[in-house]
Amino acid sequence: MLYRTSGQFKTTYKADQALFPVRQDAILLGFILILAWAVFPLMASEFTFQALLIPVLVYALAAMGLNILTGYAGQLSLGTAAFMGVGAYACYKLITIFPGMNIVVAILLSGVFSAGVGVLFGLPSLRIKGFYLAIATLAAQFFLVWTFEEWAWLYNYNASGAIQVPNVEMFGTMVAGPLATSTTQYYLVLAIVTVMTIVCINLTRGTQGRTWKATRDMDIAAELIGINLLKSKLTAFAVSSYIVGVAGALFVFMWRGAAEPNLFSISLSFRILFIAIIGGLGSILGNYLGAILIVALPVVLNTLPHTLGIEISSATVEHLNIMIVGALIVFFLIIEPHGLARLWALIREKLIIWPFPH
Amino acid sequence: MKTFAKWTAAAAVALGTASAVYAEGHGASMNVPNLSYRTGPFAATGIPIMNGQADYFAMLNARDGGIGGAMIDYEECETGYSTEKGVECYEATKADAIVTQPWSTGITLQVLPKTNVDEMPLLAPGYGFSPMADGEVFQWAFNMPGSYWDAASMILQEISGGDLSSLSGQKIVLLHLDHPYGKEPIPFYEAMAAEHGFEFLPIPVGLSEMQNQSAQWLQIRRERPDYVIMWGWGAMNAGALTEAIKTRYPMDQFIGVWWSGHNGDLEALGEDAAGYRAISYNAPNPDAPVLAAIREHVSDSQAGEGEMDWVFYQRGLVISMLLAEGITAAQAEYDTAVVSPQQLRWGLENINLTQERIDELGFTGMIAPFSTSCADHTGHSGGWMIRWDGSTFQVDSDHLMADQSAIAPLVEAAAAEYAEANAPWPTQECDG
Repeated sequence: MLYRTSGQFKTTYKADQALFPVRQDAILLGFILILAWAVFPLMASEFTFQALLIPVLVYALAAMGLNILTGYAGQLSLGTAAFMGVGAYACYKLITIFPGMNIVVAILLSGVFSAGVGVLFGLPSLRIKGFYLAIATLAAQFFLVWTFEEWAWLYNYNASGAIQVPNVEMFGTMVAGPLATSTTQYYLVLAIVTVMTIVCINLTRGTQGRTWKATRDMDIAAELIGINLLKSKLTAFAVSSYIVGVAGALFVFMWRGAAEPNLFSISLSFRILFIAIIGGLGSILGNYLGAILIVALPVVLNTLPHTLGIEISSATVEHLNIMIVGALIVFFLIIEPHGLARLWALIREKLIIWPFPH
Repeated sequence: MKTFAKWTAAAAVALGTASAVYAEGHGASMNVPNLSYRTGPFAATGIPIMNGQADYFAMLNARDGGIGGAMIDYEECETGYSTEKGVECYEATKADAIVTQPWSTGITLQVLPKTNVDEMPLLAPGYGFSPMADGEVFQWAFNMPGSYWDAASMILQEISGGDLSSLSGQKIVLLHLDHPYGKEPIPFYEAMAAEHGFEFLPIPVGLSEMQNQSAQWLQIRRERPDYVIMWGWGAMNAGALTEAIKTRYPMDQFIGVWWSGHNGDLEALGEDAAGYRAISYNAPNPDAPVLAAIREHVSDSQAGEGEMDWVFYQRGLVISMLLAEGITAAQAEYDTAVVSPQQLRWGLENINLTQERIDELGFTGMIAPFSTSCADHTGHSGGWMIRWDGSTFQVDSDHLMADQSAIAPLVEAAAAEYAEANAPWPTQECDG
């Protein structure tokens, strides 16, 4: 009923290939965008910004980067956190070397460094596949984190080996560092994430996306129909690492405010991989759904007992939280192994034909 | 489908109310949150300290009805020692809190700039960023009664017999956790090594190899250092001690910082670890009156059998006592029962812990007298060397004091550097 598509006729190819062939999709997305751009910022408290909104966006962006590589191009990577680190450290060096640089420019530029490193570590993908490639990217993970620890120039010879985000001004407002307000940072993150998402959607449904999908589904067949595997795989690594690098810069500059090398450890890589897998490999929407489940849900669960006035100790809540989130992950993967995005797609299908399921 | 819609609606409502309700106050009491870690790889060392902290406030509430007539609402937010959770907890608790206790040097570094903007006192007793001693630069941060550089200096004094030039030509290894915390003493030791002519060699232990340090100890065996100083935490301490015993490193040349002197770690090793020493700003005193008071008034203590005699449990008591003293000072100055974060900042800056006051509070022999001021946020109480005798820690030295003439220039330089890197950074002027 809500999703009735009858009466929406497509008379041109252009209309048929539009981003939203079904009008309700556009309305739904518009509603979500209004929520994100206007309603949340007006209602949210400092805590909501810092613990829910900003992290969900940043993690979703990082997962989106990984999804391009793993979900669309079929190259398994375990080095996401390290590429995020490259973005973060590059942004830090750019901002400290050129203090007058616009932060948005610095963030977008830092992705370039990460893309370069990504391509370098993507070279083995030309010879090895699957789990073996995962091990090769694992090398990136350990090597890069080790570099962040040992190369003191990267953190400006700080005694604690950590990077601290300085106060950065843009057009008269503080946008990074302790003086920046959460609302400003949220809008900046939201703007970058929105633009990146639009780019990703269009990239993945165009020629480039089809090239990647062909590479993923069967690389020999792809090669036979004239796809250059070298180009396809390396562009996937470059685009993916670029997005992941930007996510890393946002992660530190717009959210955390400081970072030590251990932040970019393997556990962060796994976390992002889980977001991509549970959200749904080969989908853009899935990254957001996955980030909400993995990042936001534990935070909400943590505050629930307090809100409901139940007196249990914080440590017990933490234990319960791990159990509940774990159980939910298992539950969702059993009812839909292809992730939350597929679950939503099924729900949408059902809604379209509802109430007459035949 | 209906159930799905219902669930989504319920989740949305929960999401909306969670943040709103969380910000509400808790009545007339003072909210003292603690970013605890009773889970994760550092839980073993965290639990006794958190128990001590909780029990002291529980005792004050039961015996005296709080502090100066206001009840203390001690609340924990679990971080698992994760920096990410730490920042989340800081944001979640700051609304009606009068202080933040971040634990973990990593969380301290993240929260430190935020506290300056939020005007929230940050209490990091014996941890955090050593330059926080400079009260002119770090208005809102306190790391009394001693910084890591104090600890580093006291260790050198004890092993050199008070004369650092006697260390000339010797080799000292710093076995440290490869984390902001473990890297804290390095600048101080490097400066001292250059000045007094001893060889200084830091050996890092990564977070992932805490329990398997064979590579590090192989290197120590090859280097044959005169002393091994340890900046370890959590599972790393037990790992290092086990390896030291295995490689037969002489225990009397092995010294830890105050976070590496945990009874729980050493009890498992017993006699084998006898002779191991650690510096500590609190001395274990099983007969202190405050322990009797806790046994009498706190019925639901989480502390296990014998835990109250542990150095770490008693350190938790000391930490809560320092905070309570800050609250008392603020209450007297502003003539109010419920103090605000700004008033507490004044209180923490004007702690005057004399020997009489220590005795009055029941902490006899557990901590040395010290006082803080506008310019000095550490107080530098000094500490004692404690030695593991196979079953318990015993005080093994006279009261030691850090050499402030060596530390002060480093603090000043590091604080200025921090302020510059984080400009515009608000500072305060202190007279005198």
